Amino acid sequence: MSEKKEVSHEKREVLQVGIDLGTSRSSISASNGQRHVIESYVGWPLDMVARKVLKKPVLIGREALENRPMLDLHRPLEEGLIKDGSEKDEAAVRELLWHLLSLVGVDRESRNGVKVRAVVGVPAEALRVNKQQVRKALQDAVDSLLIVSEPFAVAYGMEALLHTMVIDIGAGTTDFCVMNGHLPTEEDQRTLTQAGDFIDEQLMRLTRERHPEAQFSIHMVRAWKEDGSFVGQPKSPVVVTAPVGGKPTEIDITQEMRQACESILPPLIESMLDLLSRVQPEYQEKVRNNVILSGGTGLIRGLGARLEQELAAVGGGKVRVVKDPIFVGSDGGLAIAVDAPDSDWERLTA
Amino acid sequence: MANVDRIKRQLLRDLVQQNVDLIHGRAPRRRRRGDVWRFAARVASLAFLSLALLGSSRLISMFGEPRSAGAAAGIAAARPASAKVLEPATAVPSKPLDPVDAAVFPLAVHKIAIDAGHGGGSTGTRTPEGLLEKDITLDIARRLERLLESQSFQVVMTREEDRDVSLEQRGALADRAGADIFVSIHVNWIDNRRSRGVETYYLGPTDDPYLTRFAAFENRESGYSMADMKHLLERIYAGVRQDKSRRLAETVQGSLFQALGKLSPEVEDRGVKAAPFIVLLSTQMPAILAEVSSLSNEDEARLLTKPLYRQYIAEALAKGIRAYADGAPEAIAAGGKGS
Repeated sequence: MSEKKEVSHEKREVLQVGIDLGTSRSSISASNGQRHVIESYVGWPLDMVARKVLKKPVLIGREALENRPMLDLHRPLEEGLIKDGSEKDEAAVRELLWHLLSLVGVDRESRNGVKVRAVVGVPAEALRVNKQQVRKALQDAVDSLLIVSEPFAVAYGMEALLHTMVIDIGAGTTDFCVMNGHLPTEEDQRTLTQAGDFIDEQLMRLTRERHPEAQFSIHMVRAWKEDGSFVGQPKSPVVVTAPVGGKPTEIDITQEMRQACESILPPLIESMLDLLSRVQPEYQEKVRNNVILSGGTGLIRGLGARLEQELAAVGGGKVRVVKDPIFVGSDGGLAIAVDAPDSDWERLTA
Repeated sequence: MANVDRIKRQLLRDLVQQNVDLIHGRAPRRRRRGDVWRFAARVASLAFLSLALLGSSRLISMFGEPRSAGAAAGIAAARPASAKVLEPATAVPSKPLDPVDAAVFPLAVHKIAIDAGHGGGSTGTRTPEGLLEKDITLDIARRLERLLESQSFQVVMTREEDRDVSLEQRGALADRAGADIFVSIHVNWIDNRRSRGVETYYLGPTDDPYLTRFAAFENRESGYSMADMKHLLERIYAGVRQDKSRRLAETVQGSLFQALGKLSPEVEDRGVKAAPFIVLLSTQMPAILAEVSSLSNEDEARLLTKPLYRQYIAEALAKGIRAYADGAPEAIAAGGKGS
């Protein structure tokens, strides 16, 4: 950047951050080189005893999850958005955000005199009211705020700006975005609610039907999926351990895992092909050969190959699976934050 | 590389503008896909229209004055098949066109006017969390627009952004565009908040005090003078149009209930009803007002925040419209209660 013109008279240090506020995990990438990911859980001690034991007014992430019996536990995002706009969930989002900022070195009380400019990703088809909720929840924590669609942040970070389709499969939503060199319109984007959480629910139901004697929670099911998810042929049987009558017992959930993971395929394939068919004909082949699969659920083994099979039926194509799906959204947000000129940030005061 | 930098700069400019609009509560500026194509199509259609006008005297002498909706539809067919928002017109047409019986032409429904209820300062109903009827109706209308265009219908939107359009202007827009049917999308507020259901209205008289009150509420932003009202009320019982409107309402109601009832067994079929809504009164073509959900019910309000649910609603509306256009509404309408 050769432009050195100062727009603001304040001499505060500027910290740019990209934040992927996810239903399951939230990540932050900062211009000081720090990157962190936490699980999107926030818990407040239930009573005096819990407060004495935990010695903290609020617990975040893995720590909250592990102490959940003593907490009023909130997973404040649902399908990538603040749940129903409730005050408690808004407060939980604020706590999550403050925790993320503290991880990259911003002190909550003093702010270290740092001016924070944040880019936050939301699902592609979030309504205006949803975006306003996010803005409201974050306005005290940052100086300036830019809200972007999650798949757009991914595309920007990867410089995949032309003739590309990004499919970002998170926990709450699957977001599609076709990049044509301009800011994606509603016609270029799509959001499905069949994503990681949907798979968890299917796996929970199917396993309960097949092994009614086994005891397990949704958190255990989520961990099983993260270890052994696949579509198509299994590499090896998926065997997990769950208590049966109090005794740890191994159960085979290979079939249930496949069925649950493949349950998202029909809407996923339909949306991918439908969006492709809407691309101008001379560019369809380019887009087919430039499909990017991102997000934690995008790591399901065999998913990229299965999408390529479907593309073969319409002339063939290539699906690239992002290697670092945890940070690809926040890194993209950071790239936007760094590239946006000072004069634009001044217009985006939170 | 220079190309990538240029694209990035443009993207950032647009992104920042989009966010500034959000901060100031302004509607997003829409860039439609394929604008260049649409421009070319418009140029081509203008050229075609010019040629047609050159030979119009001969056509008129052969077929008489092109006053009928059929002739209007013929001209409309020469236009590009893209959606178009027309500038509002304030005058009430003084000489209504006679609707053409659908049986005369196998494809009588070419052009559909979609009316996203409320907009701008008229927010419609709202939840305590700030979910507004005007936003939901616009979102569903845009989805419906895409679905209908993909089925080769021409679509006219009474609004494509968050702005005020009077009830009078909405009908006038549809009339000027030569739409064949008019579908107004609304989201209900039911006093019994446990109740959740869908209902569809067509223009007609009602003795039901609740419906009279409801219509008065929806009509409060009509912009009509008393003289206009008198003129319009004389046209209420235009038999053929009312009958077509009722059939369209039955078809759409059946489709809505079939689709949404499958998702949630609690969804009620609140039926097809007649009521004197100004927005229906102000059109010349068969017109309905669909209450596609109810924001008063917590479950429905939560579902309405989800894109997939709004897509289901749009698909159900499209299916009902398609069935009506195909002239075989009976199969679907069997699912909806009559008035």
